[in-house]
Amino acid sequence: MKRSPDSGQSVATGARKRRRGTDPGRGTANPLLQVRLPAWRSRMLLFGLFCGFVALAGRAVYLQGGFSTRFLLRQGEARYARTLDVAATRGTITDRNGVVLASSVPARGIWAIPDDVDAGASDLARIARLLDVPSGELHRRLAAEDRSFVYLKRQVEPDVAQRIEQFNLSGIHTSREFRRLYPEGPITAQLLGFTDVEDRGQDGIELAFERTLGGRPGLRHLIKDRLGRAVEDDWVREPIEGRDIRLSIDNRIQYIAFSALRSAVEGSQAQGGSIVVLDVESGEILALTNWPSFDPARRDRMEPHNLRNRAVTDTFEPGSTLKPFSIATALEAGVLTPQSPIQTAPGWIRIGGHAITDTTSHGVLTVEQVLAKSSNVGTAKIALQLPAQALWDTLTAVGFGQAPHAGLTGAVTGRLRPPESWREIEQATIAYGYGVSVSLLQLARAYLVFARDGDIVPASVMRSETPPAAVPVLRRETARAVRRMLELATSDEGTAPSARVSGYPVAGKTGTARKLRDGHYSDAYVASFVGFAPASDARVVIAVMIDEPHGARYYGGDVAAPVFSQVAAGTLQALQVAPQAGALALAATESGSGAR
Amino acid sequence: MPNRIIVAVLAAVLMASAMALVTSRHRARDLFADLEAAQQLARQSEAEGNRLRIELGRAGQPAAIEAAARRLGMRPIDPEHTALLPPAARSAQP
Repeated sequence: MKRSPDSGQSVATGARKRRRGTDPGRGTANPLLQVRLPAWRSRMLLFGLFCGFVALAGRAVYLQGGFSTRFLLRQGEARYARTLDVAATRGTITDRNGVVLASSVPARGIWAIPDDVDAGASDLARIARLLDVPSGELHRRLAAEDRSFVYLKRQVEPDVAQRIEQFNLSGIHTSREFRRLYPEGPITAQLLGFTDVEDRGQDGIELAFERTLGGRPGLRHLIKDRLGRAVEDDWVREPIEGRDIRLSIDNRIQYIAFSALRSAVEGSQAQGGSIVVLDVESGEILALTNWPSFDPARRDRMEPHNLRNRAVTDTFEPGSTLKPFSIATALEAGVLTPQSPIQTAPGWIRIGGHAITDTTSHGVLTVEQVLAKSSNVGTAKIALQLPAQALWDTLTAVGFGQAPHAGLTGAVTGRLRPPESWREIEQATIAYGYGVSVSLLQLARAYLVFARDGDIVPASVMRSETPPAAVPVLRRETARAVRRMLELATSDEGTAPSARVSGYPVAGKTGTARKLRDGHYSDAYVASFVGFAPASDARVVIAVMIDEPHGARYYGGDVAAPVFSQVAAGTLQALQVAPQAGALALAATESGSGAR
Repeated sequence: MPNRIIVAVLAAVLMASAMALVTSRHRARDLFADLEAAQQLARQSEAEGNRLRIELGRAGQPAAIEAAARRLGMRPIDPEHTALLPPAARSAQP
């Protein structure tokens, strides 16, 4: 037997003892010890160990000998490198003078992994208090078993988030996000729209200019040292910051319009209303406001029907505010002159089985007076002397039936049917504003043609330094003649003396249109007034629409014209337009005391 | 032995350059960390500036100004209390 003493000692000792036949009492003869193991087993073990070491050595050579570096690089990176999302800040929206209307500020989202949270009841109560969330709600969210991630609250102020971080609770984390602030609140709410929690535009300007305002987040590769400081970086993708935009809105005029509108709508118990103020020179929208409005800071109180920018998205039948376009078409065609007599007695006419009526019989009126007194009969008679195509051409040229490209979401086209389908009665009613539907923005823009000596520019919500190209629609003389008639409409013999502004001559037209309900004209009205000031050298066009006024008076001249007057007075002061002594003296005399 | 001297000098140069590499790398990282901190500060300042601009907007809101003016007993312009000076009269003023 060639067994070496160390490689099978116990077996050999047992064998020796057995050969001597003695047993000194050290253990009994265990039969297992008498089994002779085959020698190949230990060799096998030795070989296995050898193979293991060879594999390790091979791996070491493979990793360190320059054959492959990927594995070690990856492992190293996992220990000191981080790839971070770098958020891009959303652009700011300012008004034409640089006043901030919407801006993003950093905020934090507080989130949790429910399984990892082992905070005590007192800690949770403190968090609930800090976050201003009911304690029960917090418990309910953390108890959701099927979720590995839950937001506790988003858009939290950074200092609140910092205090929560100081609790150092496991399972509760914070993430960076942005919060959009609208300093003007309800005054600009529908115009600007709002963003979602991810700071993406959802409505209004925020949505329309999403591509400009919204940046693209970047991706950054960082290497951190032992202390957690970043020591090297590498941009995988650079963030693109959102660009700022400057609107044509003037926040002072916007406020003037908003407060005048709110008091008018509430005073006349109306459903709502809108105002559009346009700059005559550039077509820029100086103010665009609606009531009822909403507060973008209080999302929980938003009501869907208050979100619409009604001046742009809703249409109505304009009624008499469309008459100047019919009369301008007649003047342009040379059918009539401003002094041509029109017989409007007995205050009604019958066309194709339908009666068109005036409020009273005005007798013989000049074309000028037809507009000033807003005679439906007179306008219908004038329109019937025209080819339908001519009227349609004028209405189309000033923008009816087409969505204005003003940079606003949801702008509607309104309704203006092709002239081939007009029957005689339709031609007559379209001439005084029934059978067509328009948005208030379209109506305001169309009046630029009278304020601007016969040409028209596109309306725009963006501030622009260069004046837009004007498109001629009417001859200069025609526009001036209609302007004169519109000025007459605000005189004592017109329908809207209450539109006058002390210190400035104004021109404009009232509208009082019945609303269509289920295909029939109802007893609900839309009262409107569109005008411009100062009449001779207009700076602004102001369109006012009051939806369903419920007071004793519902005429445009009673409900909408005073709002025009208020807004025009404030706007002209804000634009520093010098008052005219004559108009001021007149107003002062009217109010009972002499001018000083 | 000139060869030995050359080897010794080269070894010293090698060591020096290795040390310089380590030092400059360390400095670069330190500077980068400072840059990071400064950029962080810049971001914070920008956010703060944004916030202040919003505050300014809030303070300058026409509604706030109107309310303050009314508290001071001011009121909107009306024709009774308006006097227009002709341009000549204005230029005569000092």
